[in-house]
Amino acid sequence: MFFARPDEIAPRDHERPIPPLPWRGITVIVLLGVIAATMAWEFYCRSLGYGISLNDNEDLWTTARRKVKPESIVIIGDSRAWFDLDLDEIQNGLGKRPVQLALPGSCGYPVLAELAHDESFHGTIICSIVPRLFFAPPGSPPVNRVEKAVRRSHNQTLAQRASEYLAIPLEEHVAFLKQEDLTLEQLLVRLSIPNRPGALVPPRLPPYFQAVDRERRARMIEACARPGKLSSSIQQIWLGLFTPPPPPTYIPRDIFGAKMQQAVATRFRDITAAVEKLRARGGKIVFVRFPHSGGLKELEDRETPRAQTWDPLLQSTKAPGIYYTDFPELSTFTCPEWSHLSAGDSVEFTKRLVPHLRDALEL
Amino acid sequence: MLFNSLTFVVFFTIVVSLYWSLRSWTTRKNLLFIASYIFYGAWNPPFAALLFSTTALDFWLGARIARTQATRARRNWMIASVAMNLSMLGFFKYGNFLLENFQWLLARIGVVYQPPHLDILLPVGISFYTFHSLSYTLDIYRGVLQPTRSLRDFVLAVSFFPQLVAGPIVRAGDFLPQLVHPPTRRNGRFLWGLALMTLGLFEKIVLADTMLSGSADRIFGYAGPLIALDSWVGVMAFAGQIFFDFAGYSTCAIGAALCLGFHLKDNFRFPYAAIGFSDFWRRWHISLSTFLRDYLYIPLGGNQAAPVRAALNLVIVMFLGGLWHGAAWTFVVWGLLHGSYLVIERICRSLFEHRPWAQTRGVRVLTAMATYGAVCIAWVFFRASDFTIASRMLGGMFGGHAHGDAILSTREMLQVAIVTLGMVGAHWALRETNIETAVTRLPRWVVTAAWAVMACAIILTQGNSNAFIYFQF
Repeated sequence: MFFARPDEIAPRDHERPIPPLPWRGITVIVLLGVIAATMAWEFYCRSLGYGISLNDNEDLWTTARRKVKPESIVIIGDSRAWFDLDLDEIQNGLGKRPVQLALPGSCGYPVLAELAHDESFHGTIICSIVPRLFFAPPGSPPVNRVEKAVRRSHNQTLAQRASEYLAIPLEEHVAFLKQEDLTLEQLLVRLSIPNRPGALVPPRLPPYFQAVDRERRARMIEACARPGKLSSSIQQIWLGLFTPPPPPTYIPRDIFGAKMQQAVATRFRDITAAVEKLRARGGKIVFVRFPHSGGLKELEDRETPRAQTWDPLLQSTKAPGIYYTDFPELSTFTCPEWSHLSAGDSVEFTKRLVPHLRDALEL
Repeated sequence: MLFNSLTFVVFFTIVVSLYWSLRSWTTRKNLLFIASYIFYGAWNPPFAALLFSTTALDFWLGARIARTQATRARRNWMIASVAMNLSMLGFFKYGNFLLENFQWLLARIGVVYQPPHLDILLPVGISFYTFHSLSYTLDIYRGVLQPTRSLRDFVLAVSFFPQLVAGPIVRAGDFLPQLVHPPTRRNGRFLWGLALMTLGLFEKIVLADTMLSGSADRIFGYAGPLIALDSWVGVMAFAGQIFFDFAGYSTCAIGAALCLGFHLKDNFRFPYAAIGFSDFWRRWHISLSTFLRDYLYIPLGGNQAAPVRAALNLVIVMFLGGLWHGAAWTFVVWGLLHGSYLVIERICRSLFEHRPWAQTRGVRVLTAMATYGAVCIAWVFFRASDFTIASRMLGGMFGGHAHGDAILSTREMLQVAIVTLGMVGAHWALRETNIETAVTRLPRWVVTAAWAVMACAIILTQGNSNAFIYFQF
């Protein structure tokens, strides 16, 4: 029975047995085997086209967040600002090196709110808008992801900070260190095992197609920038990700619709309040709609039309906005995988965007 | 500092290198003392001061208990130690929970009271180190331990970094004797320690985090009704996750301690091969169950009490054991469920234990399966953040949502099935033995290959730094 043998106190001279094996020899063989397997995996990953890139996790984001000074230029929002803005060109054009805080697949609002809440900050915010992400309801993946990063920036422990400092040099030399693509978990996710009919399985996420540096500047890799299997497969992944999921089965449709409308209305109200708070301290913000192409543009235009998202956002916040299609020189770019510019185009695009940013921000 | 982080790899390498290069035993202990406080302070430096002050107070109280002859005075010093430790635990861990329940009670009698929400940060591992420290004064009071004269030794016993934040709950009486003399040289101890650390990290990073946690998180985080298959797979995924997470931490702790020449006892002994609930609690979180047995159950009367009283004692112990895990009623229900299981088992044993059919293999297997099933049902309350989720999960598991949703991919279900079958199979195979004996019996090439595969799998997962579940306790 439980507690049936109420022995007094456990023996004080407890000593663990050690298996009598030739541990030195075993350890040497294990070490050699692990080193050989790791090197083989590294060479194999490089042969598949994987290059050097930092893991864009919440610790790298926190490192960038720490660089924000009271008068900084800060880029927030989703992956389009992450890929499409060249930090050198912004520095050349606006006179300051911006801090890249845009997070792929995320909503920019939590960072906007956090910066507005930071009484010391009165700098400039460049905020990318992808309506499906920016107006994502609380608790959804785009909001959760960025909230996790913001929380980490507030609560990062000394140990986490030290781990990040140790990880960066490793990631700058080892190609297989890709948390979002080459982990055991991601390799398992890639197994094409058919699912049950009707199973509500989340859509696939895109594979590795960008390199990230210490400033969190993302550049599309060459293999994706040219037409081919990689870019076309990512195009199809975007369509899956940007197609609205069916409403939940457990909430009546009308109630769910009303909830979603209420969430969007709340988001409009919160954004307006955050922008006003920022402006009251002398801060500035400009919203930017970045290029997107092909079937994804058609899908976004259909599901989140400008008249229902972008226009009311500018009206309610009274903030300046740059919609790329409004300017011929910004509209000539084609996104290889429909959502982001190639590394080369991002430099040219930023160069052309800078004058519009200067006008919008009255610099 | 997490075992599964680069910081720990560097920290441990430095500590081990310095430790074994020093000749003086006193200097080595000083090094471990400093290293343990760096390990703990890396989370939140001010809490290291809290840890030190409560430990120092227990050191002083232990000396008072030992020096005092009068029974009543000894008892008062012991009560002071218990009160100090439990009030600190109560403030940090249960402050808001108590206030919320107080508010609820007042509301029942018509008094509207809005208590302030205390913005209390829970010191990591407080439940564990409080018990480490408490065992010292309680054992001195019981007359089974002599107090140490060295504050440094006692502080090190409580804060020894391998077991500081998530156990095993190492009693001062088990650790202090190991601080008297330096560990003797022993072939293979260090490398076996490294092998155990690899096994522990493999359990945590590969099995718990990579193979199981995703399915458990999705199922318990889903807001709608689920069909029975998905509900059961989610619960089994959590049953495996919490085992590999916690047993993985304990195995790492045992391995890290061995690398430094210290011996910690087993905290798990293949629990999912348990035949009955008393057997389960002799195999699951052994350091907690024996702590509760020695310091709570036996003082309450233990098995010597009348049957009804003994049953009540069991329920009380498990109620407090549940509450120890977290400040929520769901944990209480988890504890009470286990208490009820133990009482039911006790009744069944008194009725059927001596019947011939009770000892047949078939009945034992059925009992083991029933034990696993009932333990899984209890895990629902442990994992669910509230009763709405728990009742939705139970509804799904028992066919209440025939038209519920299916949300797990085939891959996720296969992962859970393979790991669960492997885990239960391994527990059954090793049920009557221990890891050391099992490794000794294996061919050398199998041990070598298994170690290498585990290390490669850890590298392949890239050592994501998910915190251990038991850190929150």
